[in-house]
Amino acid sequence: MRYESQRIAWWFFATCMLLFGLQIVYGFIMAFAHTGHDGLHAFIPFHAARATHTNLLVMWLLCGFMGSAYFIIPEECETELVWPWLAKLQLAALVAVGVTAIIGFHFNWWEGRKFLEIPRPLDYLVVIDVLAFIANIGMTVWRGRRLTTTSMVLFFGLLMAALLYLPGMIPTNNQTIDSYWRWWVVHLWVEGVWELIMGGILAFLLIKLTGVDREVIEKWLYVIVGFTFLSGILGTGHHYYWIGTPRYWLVVGGVFSALEPVAFLGMAIYAISMARRGGRNHPNRVALQWSIGCAVMSFVGAGFLGFAHTLPQVNLYTHGTLITAMHGHMAFWGAYAMLVLAMIAYTLPLLTGRNLYDSTASVFAFWTANIGMIAMTLAFAVAGITQVVLERRLGMDFLQVQTEIQVHFWGLILAASLFTLGILAFIWVFIRSGWPVARVSAKGDASDVSALPLADQAVQGA
Amino acid sequence: MLSKSQARTFFISGTLACAVAFVGLTLDTFRRIPAQTRAAAITPDVARGKELWDHNNCMGCHSLFGEGAYYAPELTKVYERRGESFIRGMLTDPEAMFKGQRKMQKYAFSEPDKAALVAFFRWTGQVDLNGFPAKPPLARQATPSRRDVPQPQIFGQLCIVCHSLAGQGGNVGPALDGVGNRRDAEYLRRWLRDPPAVKPDTRMPKLGLPDSQIDELVAFLEAQR
Repeated sequence: MRYESQRIAWWFFATCMLLFGLQIVYGFIMAFAHTGHDGLHAFIPFHAARATHTNLLVMWLLCGFMGSAYFIIPEECETELVWPWLAKLQLAALVAVGVTAIIGFHFNWWEGRKFLEIPRPLDYLVVIDVLAFIANIGMTVWRGRRLTTTSMVLFFGLLMAALLYLPGMIPTNNQTIDSYWRWWVVHLWVEGVWELIMGGILAFLLIKLTGVDREVIEKWLYVIVGFTFLSGILGTGHHYYWIGTPRYWLVVGGVFSALEPVAFLGMAIYAISMARRGGRNHPNRVALQWSIGCAVMSFVGAGFLGFAHTLPQVNLYTHGTLITAMHGHMAFWGAYAMLVLAMIAYTLPLLTGRNLYDSTASVFAFWTANIGMIAMTLAFAVAGITQVVLERRLGMDFLQVQTEIQVHFWGLILAASLFTLGILAFIWVFIRSGWPVARVSAKGDASDVSALPLADQAVQGA
Repeated sequence: MLSKSQARTFFISGTLACAVAFVGLTLDTFRRIPAQTRAAAITPDVARGKELWDHNNCMGCHSLFGEGAYYAPELTKVYERRGESFIRGMLTDPEAMFKGQRKMQKYAFSEPDKAALVAFFRWTGQVDLNGFPAKPPLARQATPSRRDVPQPQIFGQLCIVCHSLAGQGGNVGPALDGVGNRRDAEYLRRWLRDPPAVKPDTRMPKLGLPDSQIDELVAFLEAQR
């Protein structure tokens, strides 16, 4: 840590840990409801649990991105954050809005639009909050002493994410138009600009952890995000197959989303080859595991499993079934949750001055959480395929099929328990690392391989 | 070998080209949506129905156009599949139909609210969704045992929710194959008027069907032998 204001990131990451833990609790409530154990129905009905589960995810990922930006931008731009007080205020406001929204969900106060359930008055507060964040980051980049590709990609990703929140607020009384704009937010976030943020953060981590020359990493960063947008923007079409929009979206969506795995595969190959090329071993091996794991799991979850049901011929039968839940869980875990956890794993020793990266708990957290998530995905896959065959192909009644697949939700609960153990270990490491009290040093990360003399770097970058 | 500036050019030009194409397609789509969704049929009642749909987060359990959650049935074609009286029944008391099964929230909808939701579902069923939801390609077609007594429409919308015939339908109540061998017309008539009066512990609610529909159903059920 080279700058005093980077310390703010810790508060964002601590919020992440809290919200992530709560998100898992709500996941269990839903899984038990699927097995027929809905004892909480009177207090937390399924739709409240679901809205809370997904909105907590979005909120803690945004918190993670903001924290990452507050750590990365000062370091990349070689300057203190312009308004550190605004960062603190903005986090407090975000948490206040989030808590209000989630309590509101339990009292039937929401908008009822998948992923965008936050009621309208709170939407405006979110926009103001994010604008404050963008202004803070933007001014820091502007006043910075150095302009790097990594910081620019990260900044534009965050700016576009803020702007793309707006189409979701356009009022309409036509369900088709409502749905059309909703995907502008949701799809163009997760399969568009969030990948820009992901690319930026991953590039920063690779520069720090592998010691490969910045120029090489940033060149490939452009190629990867180029492929992302080439496929992702028109790939929005796969949400426009069955909502009352013209038939040509079946072709546009089908072709371009078939290209989406290419971008994710590129990201995975990029991360692995940079790590191998680097040669030098950064002592924080767990952070590198999370970084590479993120690239690999996002290819499997978002790229491969997304492609598995994105072709219109297949999607006609899988659309609106548990197949979507299968793809969604691993995609969000791989692409975004693991990214934020990678960033936390890397920054924690720098922020707190305590190195717990090679502790048993750190290693246990990585493997257990990932094996748990793979098992969860398999449970969803079996339930989803069974549902598609029985309900969509054979025409069996919905509720009857739900009874047939109940057993797979016990499998899901077992897998989720394993996953939870891993996450608890991660949170344990976070707590044990303590408060962000590390001394600021001009050299920054003492083990930062990118801080080596230039001659060394040239050899590695060749 | 690719240079950094070439990579940047690839990124910027590719993104711009795709963004322009996407905005163009969006403009064209908005030109076509009114016809494809029969926007002229969105009456104040339909709009009110959508408002109720949103403000109660129905999508948090059900799906519409295949979008939403996967905890409760897909509702795009519910008007065609179940008919108005079933929808009103569910909105009045969700547990009357599916006692002891997966639960739905009980809402205090007024009569105009229920009418608005029915109107909303009638509209969603008429939107051209490019073939979604697909008819199950492997479904067995139930063959009536006697062709001279046609299946009443209400049977396909209501009875089939809990009972099955020739393997098609729900499993809350008993299968109705051969029910004509077990029950006579007089019993069936009494039963359909008020099931709990015949058998107090039954899970079947009093449906309040008009006599004309009860006659049709009795004739049909009696013919199942």
